[in-house]
Amino acid sequence: MKLSLPENQKLRFLRWFDFRSWRVGMLAYILNRVTAIGLVVYLYLHLVVLSILTGGPTQWDPFVALARSPFFLALDVILLAGILIHGLNGVRVTLTGVGVGVGAQKTLFAALMLVGAVLLLAGAWKIFMG
Amino acid sequence: MALNVTLRMFRYRPDQSARYDMFKVTVPDAANVLDAIEQAWAQHDRALMFRHACHHASCGTCAVRVNGREVLPCIVPVKKYLDGDKPLTIEPLKNFSLVGDLVVDVANFFQKQAASGLVITRPTENKLEGKPIAYDQGLDPASVETVPFNRFENCIECGICLSACPTMAASVKFFGPASLAALERELDKTTDPQRRARLLELADDEQGVWRCHSAWECTETCPQNVRPAEAIMALRRRIFAQRFGFGK
Repeated sequence: MKLSLPENQKLRFLRWFDFRSWRVGMLAYILNRVTAIGLVVYLYLHLVVLSILTGGPTQWDPFVALARSPFFLALDVILLAGILIHGLNGVRVTLTGVGVGVGAQKTLFAALMLVGAVLLLAGAWKIFMG
Repeated sequence: MALNVTLRMFRYRPDQSARYDMFKVTVPDAANVLDAIEQAWAQHDRALMFRHACHHASCGTCAVRVNGREVLPCIVPVKKYLDGDKPLTIEPLKNFSLVGDLVVDVANFFQKQAASGLVITRPTENKLEGKPIAYDQGLDPASVETVPFNRFENCIECGICLSACPTMAASVKFFGPASLAALERELDKTTDPQRRARLLELADDEQGVWRCHSAWECTETCPQNVRPAEAIMALRRRIFAQRFGFGK
């Protein structure tokens, strides 16, 4: 069986996505990077969207109507999930980094993600029903 | 009772494309993965490259990945991985240059430690009550019972933590978990203020403790319970304490 491998040293990070080696810590590591990239992309998209304001109400009002569609509201929920995962995982990294919860990093991650899930559900309710 | 096992073995030579070869081997019920690898070499392909020495998790030489996870195959039972007819996938460690098949070049790992003056030594293993022991000197059984052996240096330099570390995958310059754990151990052993300052300076390097992103894979995979991630966190606390003038 022939195999193509990322032997290039600069592409070694692709091994992050070898899910066979994923454990809690690795999952947290991957989630932090994926959400970070997502949030950076969102930031730029947000700036692009805000530029519509320069077109005045004739361009802004139709966009607001579009942003209230279920599809865009679902994107808001995904954005909130990214913020919660990244932020709460950052809390875990900060706490263990200063010596808090060092022996319980997996429990800490699970607890924070549970908090995140509750906040996400509440946020999704607010986004769709509020 | 014997076990029939299929090994899906990573094969590589610098002048050839990487591939996987399948080897069917029969090993005793109590066999470890290294025994199965040796069977593949003995019965199927004498060109198979792999490393081993002690067969009891002392030398760290044989480290590989089995089904994607880093282990010492000399102490991991084949039985642990048996899942119907599914083969065991045996691959070399990640984050090292490949030499051939399961063999990786660990020179960079040792060079990093040598460059920092942190070559791992085990002074407690060749001394008893502070006196050097010649290797051909038999120990008095009575003294062995009363004098406990200390192993302050559990690291066997197997490289498993470097393979499991996602930061190592992103940067070869990162000191890595083993070296940082060695730094922490050295700090515990010395009271010399100059040496301590130098060690903390190393830990605080751009490629030191701050490059760790808390995946904790090193601690999860370490076969000797060195707990490098905890050592890295301890080093961070020491640096905080030194910088802001509190604690240790």
